[in-house]
Amino acid sequence: MPAEPAAPALLARVAAGDRAAMRDCLQQYARLVWSIARRFEVGDAEDAVQEIFLEVWKSAARYDAALGTEAVFVATIARRRLIDRRRTRARRPTTEAIEVDGEIAMATAGAGGGPERSAEAQQAARALAKLRPEQQRVLVMAACHGMSHGEIAEETGMPLGTVKAHARRGLLSIRSALLGVPEEERA
Amino acid sequence: MTMKTHVMMHPRAEELLVESALRELTADERAELVGLGVGEAEIAEMDRAAAALAVATAGGAGARSSSGAAGYGDDVPAAVMERLMASVEAVEMRPSVQKMRTLGGVVMPGTVGTVPAAGAGASASSAQIAPIPSLADARAARAHKAEARRRFSPAWLVAAASLVLAAGTWWWARDQVAVGGAGGVVGSPVASLAAARSSLVSAPGTQTIAWTATADRAAKGTTGDVVWSPGQQQGYMRFVGLAANDPASWQYQLWIFDRTRDQAYPVDGGVFDVSSTGEIIVPISAKIHVDDATLFAVTVERPGGVVVSKRERIVVTAKAS
Repeated sequence: MPAEPAAPALLARVAAGDRAAMRDCLQQYARLVWSIARRFEVGDAEDAVQEIFLEVWKSAARYDAALGTEAVFVATIARRRLIDRRRTRARRPTTEAIEVDGEIAMATAGAGGGPERSAEAQQAARALAKLRPEQQRVLVMAACHGMSHGEIAEETGMPLGTVKAHARRGLLSIRSALLGVPEEERA
Repeated sequence: MTMKTHVMMHPRAEELLVESALRELTADERAELVGLGVGEAEIAEMDRAAAALAVATAGGAGARSSSGAAGYGDDVPAAVMERLMASVEAVEMRPSVQKMRTLGGVVMPGTVGTVPAAGAGASASSAQIAPIPSLADARAARAHKAEARRRFSPAWLVAAASLVLAAGTWWWARDQVAVGGAGGVVGSPVASLAAARSSLVSAPGTQTIAWTATADRAAKGTTGDVVWSPGQQQGYMRFVGLAANDPASWQYQLWIFDRTRDQAYPVDGGVFDVSSTGEIIVPISAKIHVDDATLFAVTVERPGGVVVSKRERIVVTAKAS
C-alpha cells in the first residue's frame, strides 16, 4: 500500500510521544475527521472530534502501514468512536440535509486521484461509482452518515429489506475492491 | 490488506460482518459472528472498507483551509481548529505514572509541584483551589500533599488505565486547571495563591470585577470577584459561599468571553472543584490568549468539563465595565 506522501510516519512520531507530531496530525487530518464527524453528528461534532483525536493519539502505536494508509486508520477510529457515541446516546440527532448525491459526485471525482487522497480512498471511490445509484445512496447513508437501516428506509422510501441488501452488497463490493478482487467476482 | 476473499462465507456471517462495520453489534451477535468462523482480522477489514469509503466521500480536497488544516474534507471552522490545537498543549506526556494529571481538570499526585487545598473536605480533585491563608496552615498543607499523592479520582483511574502509550503515559488534561496556573506559582505553598492574587490586583491594567450570582442553587448567596490581567494573561477567581461539588458528578467551568472572538465560543478558563463553602481562590487557566475579556461566567458541567457549554446552569457572572 503506498505511503501517505504528505505525512510519512506521522503516526509513528505520535506514538513516540512527539508533541509536534500531534499538531501535525491535527493539521493533516482535522478536515477529514471533522467532515466524518459532522455527517454522523449534526450537533456535537467538535466534542466528537476531540474524542477521536485523543483516541488516535492513544492508538497511534497500533498503526500498521502494511494494513492501510494513515488516513484510513484515522477514519476507522473516527467511525468507531462515532458509532459508539451514537449507541450511547441511543438516538439519531437528525437526518436533515444529507447531501448524498453531492457526496457521490465527490467520490467519483476522487477516483481521478487527488494528490492527497489515499490510494484506498481512490479505490473505494472507484468501486462506489460502479454501484447502482440507489446502492450508492444507501451505502453512503449507512457507512458515511451512520444512519440505521430503518432511518434509511424512512428517508428513501425503500423497503427495509432492500436497504439492508444494498448496504450489504455495497460494502462487500468496496471491501472486495480494496482486496484486489476482480470486478466480475465481487459481491 | 490481506487477500482473503470470503467467497464461501455463510450468508449470516456475511450479514453480521457487514453490520459490524455499520453499527455496534450486540454481544450475542458478536458471539454468533465468531461462532460462524469470522475472525477479528476480517472484522477489521470490513471496518477499513467502510473507513476508506468515508475518506473517499469526505469532500473537498487539496488546499489548506482557512483554519490552517491541510488535507481533504470539510473546512474546519477556525475557532474549532484553534481549540483543537490548544488541546494538544494540554495533553501531558509523562514518562511515568508518578507524574501525571487527571482527566477531569484536576492536579495530580506526585512530584510535579502544585498544592491541593487545605480544609477537611478537599480532595485530590480539588487541588487547584486554595483557601485564603487564614484557613490554611502549614500542617494542613502538608497533610493534603500527602493525601493528594495517594488519592486518585475515578477519572484519574480511567485515564491511567487507558492512556498507556509506547513512549510512556499521556494524560489528557483538556480542561485542566493547574494550581497557580499561569501565575507562576506552580509548586508554591497554598498561601502563595492569595499573595499572588493580591500582587496581581495592584498591577497596572488589572481588572477586578465582582461576581453576580444567578438563581442557580449552587450559587445561592455567593460573593467574590474575578481578577484578570490582560497584559499578564493571568487571573484569579475568589468565591465565598459557592456550593461544594462532587467531582465525580459535576464540576465548575470558567468561560471568558473575548470581544475579539465569536461570542458563541468563549475561551475555556478551566475546570475546577469546590470542596467547602468557605473563601477560596481559584487560579484562571485560559487555554488560549484572551485579547479583550468582556464577561466571565462559571457554569456547571459534567466531570472533566466540556468543549462547548450548553450553558444550562450558569452560576455566577462578572461583566467587565
